[in-house]
Amino acid sequence: MSLVSFVKITKAFGGKPVLRGLDLAVDKGEVMFIIGTSGVGKSVTIKLLIGLLAIDGGEIWFDGARIDQLPERALGPIRKRIGMVFQNSTLFDSMTLVDNVALPLRKHGRFRGAAALAEARRLLALVYMDEHAERYPAELSDGMRKRAAIARTLALDPEVVLFDEPTTGLDPVSARRIDRLIRELADKLGVTAIVVSHDPPSIFGIADRVCMIYQGIAHVVASPAELRASTDPIVQQFITGQSSGPMETPGF
Amino acid sequence: MRRRIIKRIEDLGAIVVDAARAARELWLVFVGTIAGLVRRWGEGEARSPKGELARQLHAIGNRSVLFVVVTLGFIGMVMSYQACLQLARITGDFSQIGQQFIRLIVTDFGPTLTGMMLATRVGAGIAAELGSMKVTEQIDALRMSGVLPIDYLIVPRFLASLVMTLALSVLGSVVMFGLGGLTAKLSFGVNPQLFFDVSLVRPRHLVIFILKALAYGAAIPVVAGFCGLRARGSSEGVGWATTAAVIGGSFAVIVLDFVISATALFLTGGDL
Repeated sequence: MSLVSFVKITKAFGGKPVLRGLDLAVDKGEVMFIIGTSGVGKSVTIKLLIGLLAIDGGEIWFDGARIDQLPERALGPIRKRIGMVFQNSTLFDSMTLVDNVALPLRKHGRFRGAAALAEARRLLALVYMDEHAERYPAELSDGMRKRAAIARTLALDPEVVLFDEPTTGLDPVSARRIDRLIRELADKLGVTAIVVSHDPPSIFGIADRVCMIYQGIAHVVASPAELRASTDPIVQQFITGQSSGPMETPGF
Repeated sequence: MRRRIIKRIEDLGAIVVDAARAARELWLVFVGTIAGLVRRWGEGEARSPKGELARQLHAIGNRSVLFVVVTLGFIGMVMSYQACLQLARITGDFSQIGQQFIRLIVTDFGPTLTGMMLATRVGAGIAAELGSMKVTEQIDALRMSGVLPIDYLIVPRFLASLVMTLALSVLGSVVMFGLGGLTAKLSFGVNPQLFFDVSLVRPRHLVIFILKALAYGAAIPVVAGFCGLRARGSSEGVGWATTAAVIGGSFAVIVLDFVISATALFLTGGDL
């Protein structure tokens, strides 16, 4: 049985439908990439999973339990098990890195006081950021902030980590380091990763499977090799990045 | 024609639904803030960052002192001058001016003008800060970290605003009365001993003063926090939230002023 399942998910904003019956199942321990053009609903999909947005219709299942109707308070235990690395890192500007990472440890009651700080340093070391523990987010590069954000997400020892465009805005070297980190999480810690991305080197470098969202549904779910070999003109246009083709891109 | 009428009705309905939804969300922010206060009290542990209350007391109170003192001082001078001018034209008797002026300041102008000033300065600041956090997903990151954003962000501002609105109302009222008396003396030669007569101020006036200051102190961060948490999109959304917080906060102050004054008049049978 899949660890995470989206069943016939619909979601609209201001009357404009974004998801129109999305079905997707993610297995335990796999790295699933969600791809598609901008505004197609990739980030929306992962935010629906953890209740940061509410679905309009359909069902979301996690580890055998339906979670789409849970109130905010009941989502607390789910958010311990599913972490998220946001697109802009979203570290808290007023705190040092070690305090940023220690915050969820304290709030979820896993550690207190000095123990929380020690655990936060250990997690920063996992992402090679321990020497920057006392620095503030504004003093760091985008890649370093992303790594610190991953450490904060790992603080709760999640079974699933959602990555919202983790390599966007990074130089190629930093981007590949983030890719390596995501792959290591899956391989070494058994973490299930759901990654929203448009970055072909990431997709073809570390994904186990890829879900391409188009017109509000999962247009294709396949392995990277199957995706590359696909003769579907929509898939081909996306992965080759051609500006003309059958794909409808709102706003262009 | 029929289609246009239906469209108008639909638009009107959408506005009503949006307004009802916004009112519900505002109420939920208020209830959430009170619940957060209770949790803070019950657990004996702040759910906001260490030192946040002190930071907010400084940001809301200390940084507003000059703004409130200057504004209320000038308003006090203008009001005193105008009152003396009218009296000089009609009767020339200044014996009641100070007594009535301080009563008006205590029951109304002191806390209400302070509240209006804080609704603009403090309300805009809170909405801009929370709005920026909302559009950059920091609020979502807080929720993912197991933190209730209202406990973490609004409760310390709520507490600081309660304390500092009361303190600044007292300070503003003293400055307003003092500069009003100085203006009356320098412009119309009113005897300061005659002007600075507080014998008409009764305990019930002080109760109204405290009630209004606390009500405004509670309303401003709740309205501003609500607007900040509703921010959408990017910088434009933050701008909208800030504008809405200033308008909403000022409006809340005026409505609360009316409600508390009307209730006091009703309870005292008009003998305020």
